Amino acid sequence: MTTQVSSTAPTAMPATPAEARAGAAELTYQPHVDIRDLGSEVVFDADIPGARADGIDVTFEDGVLAVRASVPPRDLPGRAVRQEYGIGNYRRSFRLGEGFDASQITADYRRGVLTIRVPRLAAVRPRKVAVRAG
Amino acid sequence: MTTFRAGFTLPLEELRDEMDRLWSSLTAAPPLHGWGVRPDASAFPAVNVRESDEAVIVEAELPGLDAADVDISATGEELVLKGKRPGAVPAGDGEPTAGAEKVIWHRRERGTGSFERRITLPTAVDAGSITARLVDGVLTVTCPKAAEAQPRRVEVQST
Repeated sequence: MTTQVSSTAPTAMPATPAEARAGAAELTYQPHVDIRDLGSEVVFDADIPGARADGIDVTFEDGVLAVRASVPPRDLPGRAVRQEYGIGNYRRSFRLGEGFDASQITADYRRGVLTIRVPRLAAVRPRKVAVRAG
Repeated sequence: MTTFRAGFTLPLEELRDEMDRLWSSLTAAPPLHGWGVRPDASAFPAVNVRESDEAVIVEAELPGLDAADVDISATGEELVLKGKRPGAVPAGDGEPTAGAEKVIWHRRERGTGSFERRITLPTAVDAGSITARLVDGVLTVTCPKAAEAQPRRVEVQST
């Protein structure tokens, strides 16, 4: 598995291994993402299980698509017997460049997967050009 | 038996993955849920297990799945999680599916395929009373302990 911990704010980095294992939602992860280009639009699918639907923030500015999601701690009873993965907030951004229609971006969160569709501006969509011979 | 469809990554991705591995070994932070295209974990999915007086709680992250995609069973001290996440399209440059636009994959990090994991629990549980919830890709399986495994108050006689 790719293990990714990243943060731009110093306070979000765990200072010691013990603090990291405490599982406080101060950790930030980069979610796994699939990016598909369908021509008319680019589709991002990000695995962000456990995120709060109202805590997901998607912005597209200056050609950069940014995703932030806050993940509340899981209040499970008892003591930890085994911990194989951490729980933290998600953050990732992508540079898309130009030619996209920011006003038509859609984002859906379903089953822990965030799907973002970024349509291209009509003028720049790939077009089949009929070739006339003669 | 886990069968994962291999994805592809660009050379820069390999470098980044290597740096991530190096970084995580330095920070010892717990890893992200393991459902990536090239899982390093020998067992999938990763689980967090807790134990209270009454029950053993097993949690796993299974984004993209709903209840119908997961099969949970238990015997005595073992819990079995089985399931699959269907892959949408083949890896690599997409071939046009019927009537659809051609798909180009710029990045493929999310794994697909079937999994089966057997988890040994810390105590015996009552298999018939196990309940499970799958909400927003987080699976929580609550296994009430078998009667004989629950802590018992012991009356202390004074005579």
